[in-house]
Amino acid sequence: MSLPRLKGLFYSILATLLLLFCSQGFAAGSSDRFIQKSAFKGKNDIAITFAAPVDEAWAKDVSNYRVYEEPDPDIRLEISSITLSPDHKTVVLHFDEELNQGQPHIVTIKGITSQGKNLGTAMVKVKKLYLGFLFSIFIGAMLIHNFVFTKYLGLCVFFGTSQKKSTAVGMGVTFTIVMVVSAMMSWFLYQFVLKPFHLDYLQIIVFIGLVSLSVQAVDTILRKVNPALFKAFGVYLVLVIANCIILAVPLILADNEYNAAESFMLALGAGLGFLVALFLMSSVRERLELANVPPTYRGLPIAFVVAGLFALAFLGFSGMSIF
Amino acid sequence: MDPTLIKMAIGGLALLGCIGLFFGIGLALAAHKFAVEVNPKVEEVKEVLAGAQ
Repeated sequence: MSLPRLKGLFYSILATLLLLFCSQGFAAGSSDRFIQKSAFKGKNDIAITFAAPVDEAWAKDVSNYRVYEEPDPDIRLEISSITLSPDHKTVVLHFDEELNQGQPHIVTIKGITSQGKNLGTAMVKVKKLYLGFLFSIFIGAMLIHNFVFTKYLGLCVFFGTSQKKSTAVGMGVTFTIVMVVSAMMSWFLYQFVLKPFHLDYLQIIVFIGLVSLSVQAVDTILRKVNPALFKAFGVYLVLVIANCIILAVPLILADNEYNAAESFMLALGAGLGFLVALFLMSSVRERLELANVPPTYRGLPIAFVVAGLFALAFLGFSGMSIF
Repeated sequence: MDPTLIKMAIGGLALLGCIGLFFGIGLALAAHKFAVEVNPKVEEVKEVLAGAQ
């Protein structure tokens, strides 16, 4: 095959993958085909839009709906009344009590009836605005659950490359790239290879392999593209393989069953969180060079003390929730 | 032993082997494309040195 044709093939594969990811991301709102949209409306209402008009007698019957918050399926929420839109497509469930919109709600709709035909039972997850949820994953991974300062992961590379600002930033950027690439690959492999073939017990081994693969790729490419940065990293670039953040993220993704968009946000947040940590630390350590530190504390000990102080400061983010 | 378990194990081995092979070839191609010219004398000098360490 000639080179341009190969290139075309490559781009088409890339486009297909992208489409697949996008459709995964947007389909997350509802699981049933007949239900187009489900969302919170105001403080006390849930609106559900069907693909076609439904029968009024069925739609107004409260016993056809079962609503609960995802973590406690035993506690049913009382529906006080139901309104149907004039085009018979949208049902609004009113509740007496205010809904706790921080939790996803599950609505089970029994025997959907449209034009006299029974279309079966559907289950919908009602979530807050999806982009907001993605953003909260991102901020959560970056600041609230910062991997370095609240989970104490990846400290080797953290202390090794935070002596100079330029190295720290370069390391952070490279780390973010490696993190996103390897997390997306491991998400893909986990969802489409390991789970369907019942090999999820091998996840750690596979993820380690994927991490070393992406590190090796970055190593090869960086050596050619930016030799100066490559030299500055020295041994630490290879150390990324043994970094626990980069292994922790795929495991968290697999545990939480995140979809592609959510995985991407978590990986990006974790990477940028590491970049922020490195930058803050290197700024302090550059000044520490000029400070009059007692001889026993010089070097790594004072760096650990500073990291502890940062961790205390980051503790201020804990318990915060956005959206 | 349960034949389904053996089947699963062999299937897993084959699958992961294929994935490994695929990525290995990918890496080899990348290494070829982004090859950096190294001074051949460096290797030669290294060969000649004792290499005790």
